[in-house]
Amino acid sequence: MFATRVLRQAAAHGAERAPLIRFIGRRTIPTQIDHTPRPHPASPTGALPGNGNSHTSFSSYRDSVQQHGPLRKTIGSTSAASLGSVEAPKGVFFDRNELPERFRRTPLTLAEIEAVETGGAALFG
Amino acid sequence: MLASRLIPRTAVRSVCRSQSSLPTVVSPLSRWRRGYASQADEKDLVIIGGGVAGYVAAIKAGQEGLKVACIEKRGSLGGTCLNVGCIPSKSLLNNSHLYHQILHDTKNRGIEVGDVKLNLQAMMKAKETSVTGLTKGIEFLFKKNGVEYIKGTGSFASENEVKVQLNDGGETSVVGKNILIATGSEATPFPGLEIDEKRVITSTGALSLDKVPEKMIVIGGGIIGLEMGSVWSRLGAKVTVVEFLDQIGGPGMDAEIAKQAQKLLKKQGIEFKLGTKVVTGDKSGETVKLEVDSAKGGKPETLDADVVLVAIGRRPYTTGLGLENIGLEIDERGRVVIDSEYRTKASHIRCIGDVTFGPMLAHKAEEEAVAAVEYIKKGYGHVNYGVIPSVMYTHPEVAWVGQNEQELKKDKIPYKIGTFPFSANSRAKTNLDTEGLVKMIADPETDRLLGCHIIGPNAGEMIAEATLALEYGASTEDIARTCHAHPTLAEAFKEAAMATYSKAIHY
Repeated sequence: MFATRVLRQAAAHGAERAPLIRFIGRRTIPTQIDHTPRPHPASPTGALPGNGNSHTSFSSYRDSVQQHGPLRKTIGSTSAASLGSVEAPKGVFFDRNELPERFRRTPLTLAEIEAVETGGAALFG
Repeated sequence: MLASRLIPRTAVRSVCRSQSSLPTVVSPLSRWRRGYASQADEKDLVIIGGGVAGYVAAIKAGQEGLKVACIEKRGSLGGTCLNVGCIPSKSLLNNSHLYHQILHDTKNRGIEVGDVKLNLQAMMKAKETSVTGLTKGIEFLFKKNGVEYIKGTGSFASENEVKVQLNDGGETSVVGKNILIATGSEATPFPGLEIDEKRVITSTGALSLDKVPEKMIVIGGGIIGLEMGSVWSRLGAKVTVVEFLDQIGGPGMDAEIAKQAQKLLKKQGIEFKLGTKVVTGDKSGETVKLEVDSAKGGKPETLDADVVLVAIGRRPYTTGLGLENIGLEIDERGRVVIDSEYRTKASHIRCIGDVTFGPMLAHKAEEEAVAAVEYIKKGYGHVNYGVIPSVMYTHPEVAWVGQNEQELKKDKIPYKIGTFPFSANSRAKTNLDTEGLVKMIADPETDRLLGCHIIGPNAGEMIAEATLALEYGASTEDIARTCHAHPTLAEAFKEAAMATYSKAIHY
């Protein structure tokens, strides 16, 4: 530490200035290397692979991720039985057309209408 | 290698016996049968991805004497960087700058030019020539270093086997003692605005528009957005950059430098809407309409453009890789989780580049590639994540390395600053290119360099000197006492270093 200050003082006494830059020299591989897994230096959480802090599936990722607030599972988090029966109360009827489009009756095609009206004869016309 | 192919006779006999007693079972002998050449041939290293991370690792592994195969599905090597990233964008940036300079900056240099016309097709062709030359160059290096290049899509069949859907049809598989994931990244899409690469584009589409749009909106004021915005602005488009944050340049850029960059780009005709969020987009009409609002809300506005460039960042690309087949983990941003030696949960499967931690930069990926192969071969590698330079290739260029002033302030680290403007540099003056400055940040006690931020001509080349100084722990005095040639732009670098502990001579 304070290398420059020390060097400046040394320079003041007429000594030659030594740079702070470290000259490492020829690289050698250390004889003892500890390969114990350590977090990656650029890892934001310091999590290690295989310690369960990360996700193996998209579903488990969804459970923990935040996007404009938590992305909690709203469907499938409670059992259907606990929600009670889907039967309409007595005297209440649903109009099929009030349901989302995919639950409504498929519209008849012109060919089907004709087939019904002609008793099927149109199919052979 | 040979040992793995030798099968003891007793083992064969026992397998044959078990086969005869269970005729309905698929022959276990098929394991030993020779199928495709690559299937029987176990590699020392199988690399999935032939981008910068993957191809550099492949070449390095070849040089280290490893038996290596590299799987790439694009049909050409080099990944995003060479094909649809750094390289083609630099071609367009350089040539569009020349065009812009010829149009606006010749008279005061004593050059009179006649009719100047843009030939966009020829400019694109020049870009493609650069790209092809470089990608073919890597194929040559693969051959030179004995790398097997497999053109296809790789996915994990097991922890040691990668199945490959070949581009030419058919399927093969490669077995590796070590596997390296280097599948890179893709542009993050903007929710609610479908990318068609014609009117709503990513950086890929921005590199090959067939005509100059009249109006262009860039969502995201980071490096990619500003570089591509610069290209089309120089070629004649009216460019507006919409950025959510109050600063352009993305993470890491020093606030003072970012402010100056914005000022200079605005002077060139680029409009900025900072602190602004894009609420929705609609491309059903003749132009693409964007509803924007202030980041805090309350200032709704409608913008429209012929082309909208979505440049809000990139995300790791692991689609179809089959990570789930072997239980490899990704974090909440989709990055493959690794340790400090690039190992995943399965220690022989390593991962480098954009698809894992760290900045998504080609040179970072290259460093990791060399280090990962060294870990495999020698058990020891090195990447200094504190010393990775960043460059924005606008004009003037912006480049930095190390810490910026805001980071040091936040961490309560003492520092001192030395700056030097290019307007006081002789070479910049002779070049009539004097916008920008060098900002050097040093430790107040030791003068050790902590960070360097440059905006100005040749900043991208000059940052190499700061990177070297930072890597080796040099002080600003070390830099300033090193003789720099005269007249060069690099003298501005030296004088900024001088200004941290003394006074710059020419300012």
